[in-house]
Amino acid sequence: MTKIKTLRRATTGLLAAAAMSFAGTAQAEFPDRPIEMTILFGGTANSIAQLLTDLMSQEMSQPIVPVSRTGGGGAVGYSYVVNTPADGYNIVWNSNSINTGNHMGRIDFNYEAFAPIARVSTEIPALAVNASTGWEDLSDMVEAVQASGDVLRVGISGRGSFTHLTSAALFDALGIGEQVAYIAYGDGRAPVELLAERIDAAIQWPGQFASYVEAGELNVLAVTGDTRVNVLPDVATAMEQGYDVNISMWRGLAAPAGTPDDVVAALQAAAEAAVMSDTFQEASGNIGFTPAFLPAAEFGALIAEDDAFYGALLTELGMAQ
Amino acid sequence: MDIFLQALASAMTPMAIASIGLGALIGLIFGSIPGLTFTVALALALPITFSMDPVPAIGLLLGTYIGGMTGGSVSAILLGIPGTPSAAATVLDGHPMTKQGNASIALGTAVIVSVFGGVFSLIVMIVSVDLVSRVAISFGPAEIFALVLFGLSTICGLCGGSLIKGLISGAIGLMIMTIGIDTIDGVQRMTFGSVNMMQGVNLLVAMIGLFAVPFIIEAFAVKTSMPEKSQRISRVKAELPSIGLLGRNLWLMIKCSVMGTGIGAIPGTGGAIASFLAYDHAKRFSKKPESFGKGNIEGVVAPETANNAVTGGTLIPLLSLGIPGDPATAIVLAGLMIHGITPGPALFMNHAGEVYGMYVAVVLAYLWVLGLQLMGIRLFVHVLKIPRELLAVAVLVLCAIGAFSIRNSVFDIYAMGAIGVAAYVLVSFRVPITPIILGMVLGPTLENEFRTAMMLSMGDPAIFYTSPTVLVFFSFALLVIGLQAVSEFKAKKQPKNEVKADA
Repeated sequence: MTKIKTLRRATTGLLAAAAMSFAGTAQAEFPDRPIEMTILFGGTANSIAQLLTDLMSQEMSQPIVPVSRTGGGGAVGYSYVVNTPADGYNIVWNSNSINTGNHMGRIDFNYEAFAPIARVSTEIPALAVNASTGWEDLSDMVEAVQASGDVLRVGISGRGSFTHLTSAALFDALGIGEQVAYIAYGDGRAPVELLAERIDAAIQWPGQFASYVEAGELNVLAVTGDTRVNVLPDVATAMEQGYDVNISMWRGLAAPAGTPDDVVAALQAAAEAAVMSDTFQEASGNIGFTPAFLPAAEFGALIAEDDAFYGALLTELGMAQ
Repeated sequence: MDIFLQALASAMTPMAIASIGLGALIGLIFGSIPGLTFTVALALALPITFSMDPVPAIGLLLGTYIGGMTGGSVSAILLGIPGTPSAAATVLDGHPMTKQGNASIALGTAVIVSVFGGVFSLIVMIVSVDLVSRVAISFGPAEIFALVLFGLSTICGLCGGSLIKGLISGAIGLMIMTIGIDTIDGVQRMTFGSVNMMQGVNLLVAMIGLFAVPFIIEAFAVKTSMPEKSQRISRVKAELPSIGLLGRNLWLMIKCSVMGTGIGAIPGTGGAIASFLAYDHAKRFSKKPESFGKGNIEGVVAPETANNAVTGGTLIPLLSLGIPGDPATAIVLAGLMIHGITPGPALFMNHAGEVYGMYVAVVLAYLWVLGLQLMGIRLFVHVLKIPRELLAVAVLVLCAIGAFSIRNSVFDIYAMGAIGVAAYVLVSFRVPITPIILGMVLGPTLENEFRTAMMLSMGDPAIFYTSPTVLVFFSFALLVIGLQAVSEFKAKKQPKNEVKADA
């Protein structure tokens, strides 16, 4: 008996779904089927994306499904999404890697191949040194390095990585770019290397340093964005300390270029609601990012501005292609 | 003590116990099915934990991790296809045991020694996390390079008949891993302008190809004669290892646990290197080294103890330094951070309750794994009753799904096929497959650590002979290679002498 009931219910459900999808195509009400969000990286990027898709799904009539397509510094995922129809059903969880990936020759299209939807968050790098150096701020370090004439060994994730680009820009602004030797670790091991004093300074994400700062083992001298970070509220920005550096990594959403404006607007509205939710704000402190919603137009302007900046920086470093 | 009791209370709630058990079950299933890997299981479990309380959430992830690490041995023993890279060493003796009809003993031993290794490492971790993490910090790029080189030297013990063929196999593994974007310099290597090649060859995809595809091809290429088939069925029995068997191997288990915990504690290394070093050690110090590779139980005990001892070991850098040892622990780390538990030296001050809760969760996870797996053995062995051809079809489908699901990439299915066919060709030329896996696991670390060390020393090779730790590992490696070379030389000479004597 119950079997028949379930069967009947299933059939009605199927019919209803079929009817709805017909209605959907007729009216083109976005979205009428699940949306796929391509994730380019693991770690923090993946954690935020999982949370974001969960929250955005609550705002929309259809779920947003996170699909991880990692590898090639984002090239694999960008290449996948750029070749999908521009209908808003395939979006990408993008970042500055769209700029750097293009300038480093990993992808043969640039940011213009995508329609920006919204900026969602930023992550601001921080510069840390071992507490035994006694350096408290940037000028302490600059003076010490200039006085000693020694080479400063700076740990980065890898050449061309975001931490490398940030380091290059920061040390140039500090005027000691010539005295820096970059030590590339293939992964985020720099904090430990700093602790063991095999390197003198490292630029990584604040969350990686927070626990060591609390334990009094590392000093964070500056963050490189235009605002302080909530994980380390006492650390002044480089700009506050009188050095002209403003670099932060943004993450946001984009769809293939040519996606209709109303579709972009619907996605933007869902993203905004998700970012403003308490859950997202709360999680930001734990995962170590700053919620930073920007609507499509302003987000697009930011990407274009960044593109010129990273193009110039990579050319200077001899890594542009 | 108060905190410990609180933690005990929070970890002993029905919700927490159930979620740990669920995790252990998911991990066991994903770990034991060839093709599916527990890294994927962890990635799937992560979003579920967002809405849970911290201790059940972490319990679910730890349960999956531990279940997967243990479950990897099931398909390694039954089918000769390791479920995880760390179980690759278990194939060497575990699978021959199955062929001899001792599958259930091998499986039972594997799960019991796994639990032993896991709990042993947890205890080490609890009493000495501070000390061990200080020692681990002293392992810089040069030291890790030396350790990995030592690990690579175990190829000598894995190549069976011919050292040359073993080296060829190891070198292929090293070479495969250079494909893709180099993490140190950010340049593309061997990509031929293809976006798909840029993502490189995934270790898990390669592992599925190397072990599963030859299994599938063989199942169809070799006609099984009827008598052999009936023999297979009659030999299936669910017998557990005796206490005496475990007692005899207790000393080996302790040694391998220490080894696994130590290696797990060093950031940038992992289960695979520990299990291969343990296997090599067991073979070298065994009374009957010649029986290794032919179904010696010690060849199951050593790698399985060591790879599970790694679970406690990796918790040390994970919790005290915030450094994940492998992709699986990276997902556990993400789960911790989402619940506001930021690993690092301050963790033990701020979140002592959660940390103790995690300890209890690990013990519970091992109890679950022990119970589930011992019950499961009765079911698992029936897999052997399935005709090989049918089993091969199922394995093929699962492997294609597994290869795809790691990175949602169709390219990975092709890569699996290509590597698998190449592996079949190598097997038919009697080139051992295991050194390829070893080369692939250790290759990137070996190369990256060498280059980072050279950057640190500004190009001065002295960094490799001024550190005592480095010298110790170098001499171990030299010793292993030297002993192998001597025995090869003797083996070559022996037949000639006999010929002379005859003449």
